[in-house]
Amino acid sequence: MDRDEVLRALGALEKAGADYVVIGAAAMGFHDVVRATDGLDLLARAARENIDRIRTALREAYPDDPAVDEIRADDLLGEYPAVRYFPPSGDLYFDLVTRLGEMATYESVEAETKEVEGTRVRVAPPAALYRLKKGTVGPLDRQDAAVLKSHFDLEEDA
Amino acid sequence: MGVQRFRSIEEMNATPLPRRSEDGFERFIRHNARYRLLSPRQYQRGVFRFRSLEEAQRARRELLAKSVPR
Repeated sequence: MDRDEVLRALGALEKAGADYVVIGAAAMGFHDVVRATDGLDLLARAARENIDRIRTALREAYPDDPAVDEIRADDLLGEYPAVRYFPPSGDLYFDLVTRLGEMATYESVEAETKEVEGTRVRVAPPAALYRLKKGTVGPLDRQDAAVLKSHFDLEEDA
Repeated sequence: MGVQRFRSIEEMNATPLPRRSEDGFERFIRHNARYRLLSPRQYQRGVFRFRSLEEAQRARRELLAKSVPR
């Protein structure tokens, strides 16, 4: 995961005016709870124009990759609420999600703004990440939830 | 702080690690860079669609298991 590549993509999302929240391990990293990942998880507002903005941003970040055009609103608003995009760099991927089961959407997850070198990034706060993590079934998510709960002294029903 | 001394392992483990003052994003990026030096991966490029988060997570686990070293 290349720092400049991540910042370029996040900057392009801001420039395009995309509504998204960083969730997952990358969001934990923004809160100084660091574990390795290759995925940048983005919970996106489920609206056609927003998916268009995200595609525009990724097209700007990866101008030579025609695969970006396969990110389609019809999928993300319909039968495929999760789309994974592997850019040409090969060691990073983006998980674009418009809904997490019945649990969460962009509108239902709190977000705060972090700034990295002038780029504003919308990130889910620790308590919101904890709720998302504890509500999923993966062993890594359960582990993340436990770490978040301990690190931020969160209540069980935070 | 170059060297710290401890009277026991318990005391050592209970002592927070001194950190440079920097934000989490920079630590996150450096941690991932170190991790990938130890365990390099190269993913197949493109766009993949999933009907649910569970399906996406399952694919992620399978991918991690079989992604080829560079």
